[in-house]
Amino acid sequence: MTTPLDATLDPEILCYCTLLTFGELRAACAAGTWPPPGKEQTGRLCTGCQGDLQYCLRLLGARSGVLTP
Amino acid sequence: MSATFHEVGYAHLVELVHQRDRAARRRLHSVRLSAYAGDGGTCRHGRLLVVFDARYDARVFPYRPHHYGYLHRRDSASPPLYYAVNATLGGVPDRIGAGAINNFETYLFLDRAISGHHAVAVGNLSRFASGQAEVMSYYDGIRHVETLELAPKAHTEIALTSERNGHRLRRVELKALFRLASYVVGRRASGELALFDHMFTYFK
Repeated sequence: MTTPLDATLDPEILCYCTLLTFGELRAACAAGTWPPPGKEQTGRLCTGCQGDLQYCLRLLGARSGVLTP
Repeated sequence: MSATFHEVGYAHLVELVHQRDRAARRRLHSVRLSAYAGDGGTCRHGRLLVVFDARYDARVFPYRPHHYGYLHRRDSASPPLYYAVNATLGGVPDRIGAGAINNFETYLFLDRAISGHHAVAVGNLSRFASGQAEVMSYYDGIRHVETLELAPKAHTEIALTSERNGHRLRRVELKALFRLASYVVGRRASGELALFDHMFTYFK
């Protein structure tokens, strides 16, 4: 499946708290396994990436779950 | 990841590793510095949002080390300002027991009368998402709210009136959907910076 999220971003870190990369996010969404093990806290800790995470999850068609307890 | 604001005419140094620790400095794996104009575009003149993406040996610094800044207007006789650089993205905060939300921040002003002009400088480090925020200032119980929206990498200053209806400015708060880079800024009548300090997370 193609998405408008630029593939050149894949090696870059999206969440600096859990060290989640854009590529890992893309792979987890494609496999329907978001969030991957160990990355459940993405977007919940320092919250600095939360806006970008929500944006990317919408692009990739995943339910965010970030704002739910 | 840390962020600060730089203005033309100032000498501005940032220590990327805490307390001039020579051995720790060798643990720095990489550092990338980026600067953005007020509209989020690439570096031009005026106030810049400066972002430090510094990565360390995780065995030595499993968290984000404190970064400190030194700020001095060139040719000024005033002493320099020394401040803690705003932590804006990451650093495994759950491992140091800092899992509370940090997108609601506050700053209390000193009891003595405030001279000069004050403002809150706010920047959005997101790559894609616009950031909405409210700046709330308190004047002995009188509350004033300003709202703003920042495009990715955009930044601005929200001026704070020092007095309203005879009541002095006591406190300012920043509430946002996610964490933004923010500083309280104070200027003398000449425009020279006299205060440059990060805000404090409200909940601990």
